Amino acid sequence: MFGSINTSMILAILPEIMLFILAGFVFVFDLVWDDSQRRNLGWISAGGFSLIIMISLMLGTPGSDSGLVWGGMLRHDWLGFAFKMLFLFGATITALFAMDVEDLGKKGEFYLLLIFSTLGMTLMASSSNLIMLYLSIEATSLPLYILAGFFKDDDKSTEAGFKYFLFGAMASAIMLYGFSLLYGFSGTTDLDAIAGVIKAGGMNPVLLVGTLLMILVGFGFKISAVPFHFWAPDVYEGAPTVVAGFLSTASKAAGFTVLIRVLLTSYAPASDTWMMVLAIISTLTMTLGNTLALAQKNIKRLLAYSSIAHAGYILIGVVAISELGITGSIFYIIVYLITNLAAFGIVSVVGRITGSDEISAYDGLSRRSPWLGLAMLVVFLSLAGMPPFGGFIVKVLVLASAVKAKLFWLAFVGILNSIIGLYYYLIVLKHVYLYRSENEQVEIPVTRPYAIGLIVLTIGIILLGVVISPWFNVSTIAAKVLF
Amino acid sequence: MTGMDSLFLIFAVITLISAFLVVTTKNLFHAALWLIMTLFGVAAIYVLLNAFYLAVIQVIVYIGAIAILMIFAIMLTQRVMNPSGRIFNKNWIIAALLGAFMFIGLVIISMQTGASKTTLPQISGQLDTVSELGQALVSPNAYVIPFEVASVLLLAALIGAIFVSRKR
Amino acid sequence: MDNNWLYIGLFFLVAPLIPALAILAPLFLAPKKPNKIKSQIYECGIETYGETWIQFKVQYYIFALIFLVFDIETVFLYPWAVAYNSLPLFAVFEGVLFIIILLAGLVYVWRKGDLEWV
Repeated sequence: MFGSINTSMILAILPEIMLFILAGFVFVFDLVWDDSQRRNLGWISAGGFSLIIMISLMLGTPGSDSGLVWGGMLRHDWLGFAFKMLFLFGATITALFAMDVEDLGKKGEFYLLLIFSTLGMTLMASSSNLIMLYLSIEATSLPLYILAGFFKDDDKSTEAGFKYFLFGAMASAIMLYGFSLLYGFSGTTDLDAIAGVIKAGGMNPVLLVGTLLMILVGFGFKISAVPFHFWAPDVYEGAPTVVAGFLSTASKAAGFTVLIRVLLTSYAPASDTWMMVLAIISTLTMTLGNTLALAQKNIKRLLAYSSIAHAGYILIGVVAISELGITGSIFYIIVYLITNLAAFGIVSVVGRITGSDEISAYDGLSRRSPWLGLAMLVVFLSLAGMPPFGGFIVKVLVLASAVKAKLFWLAFVGILNSIIGLYYYLIVLKHVYLYRSENEQVEIPVTRPYAIGLIVLTIGIILLGVVISPWFNVSTIAAKVLF
Repeated sequence: MTGMDSLFLIFAVITLISAFLVVTTKNLFHAALWLIMTLFGVAAIYVLLNAFYLAVIQVIVYIGAIAILMIFAIMLTQRVMNPSGRIFNKNWIIAALLGAFMFIGLVIISMQTGASKTTLPQISGQLDTVSELGQALVSPNAYVIPFEVASVLLLAALIGAIFVSRKR
Repeated sequence: MDNNWLYIGLFFLVAPLIPALAILAPLFLAPKKPNKIKSQIYECGIETYGETWIQFKVQYYIFALIFLVFDIETVFLYPWAVAYNSLPLFAVFEGVLFIIILLAGLVYVWRKGDLEWV
């Protein structure tokens, strides 16, 4: 009854083992160093994450077989692997951005919780069993609850952390109830075996829809889809900006990973049932996100509603239930992660220097710091879906997949929402480039780790839009796994 | 109605009434005590389901650690002796309707699919549950990864919770 | 389900009765002669000193929190210990790894000074 551990199993969890060792290093150094040296923990974390990416790419890429390892708990395939590298990249940039933030970059707990959350996300990407799925979702969310409320003296931050924790725990509880009912009615916790049971007709359709709805509560919370989106604006506004960046990108990407995997593995035989539900959720999410963003004066809330809208766009690709659709969604998630991280990074530095997060604080940014203004231009145009940036090509892919699946109305709603989105992105750019302010000559100092992170991201956005084929191929290989 | 069914009914009624009282009592401390009663009821239901180890864990961890932690947290707030504030806000009707709707939905589902008529499968007395659980927890083709991830999760929870509750 | 659980059920029924008896019996048996000085509130045998409702120490909470995490660790270790004799060698290492991870938690709490009582 006991298996043995062989090399392929170890290689399958190589990123997790290395993350664990990195956490050990950060832990030891945090206890040994004093306050003046603790900032170097950021270099260690960022360097460690990058090293993990490189070693995983060299040694741990999945082979041609589909690889269920560790007793059916984890699945070593390209879908999981691509997302793991994405999460590690997001964590690197977050560690770099956070290094010079007051009260954040000098605390060892921040880096430790970041590493633990990333560990949970990498496990989420490759989970293939309900128990592992739930455990990894909790391992991701728990450090994020603390990170959202990290500024203990700031009322907004504690409110954000508290709200995120309360709503997250509630959504998690309902999702767990759905998982337990799914296990009860199908007799197994393995995702593929559940698909087998559903295909053989072993599950009553009423039960199918019931458990699916409950599970969608949890997943919808993580991707901030309507009607589970209400936590996002308050939490993103109150949390430390760097943490909001990590939340809105990596955590949402992790939510999408499990959504795609569960819907297209376990519930695949019943895809007609949930396609319409998901299409309606996607429509509502896009529309609500875009229309509510129009009224925002605080840039963090604007970015929160914009990220809600982007979740809607990504869902279009999932609704299409085709290889092109999932390819589009995965590619969209990659571009969205890079773009939104850059957006929150810019907000973080400008907010720190000007002391305000209102859009009017960005007046004349292009004169104060031309490079930051340029970065903001690239980021916001990519978010709006303008060529030659990454945001354009992924929107085309996602809408094309909707058209190919004969969901013309969904594609039409997507296009309409993109037009609405363009408006508020351009409003912000108007503030940056056209308005003037009296602090124009006051420079915005940018520290070295921050500059490295922002340059990498900006080049990435342009690269993703111009040199499409490597990323498209990766997304296609990852999507092929599911069909 | 067999003996087990009537026992289940008694414990279920105790659990539900205590749970209802947890959310409706004005005094926060009494709410914590009713929660302890609820958790005892759940432990008794675990025993009826032949999950003896779970029942013991429930008492030791939930009541012995978590409920005590809650009581300490309640005592940290200053107004524990003055019951104050309203228990219900103005949305309670909608919430009650939604809850009743979900309950009726679940009851219909369980009646339609015959879930209410299944009997408890008999586990042979030779099965040593705790030993089997221990072997499954460390076997590489069973649950060893969740086992280790659970320890990492506990460590993260410890670090995070201590960080938040530390004095400035 | 065998008779052992009936014993526990009986225990639960009888156990509250004894303290209840201890509390209710004086109501009937004790003489009732209240006196102004006898009914005063006292603290350690003398009159009260300062405020009676003081701010609760947060250290109690932190200790309960640490206890909770290690209690859950114990819960995971019980089955491992019960099955110990029939486990191969690497399973022992897995259990030791589990303990080491939580030992790191203890070291963290200790070095950051959260175990100080004052």
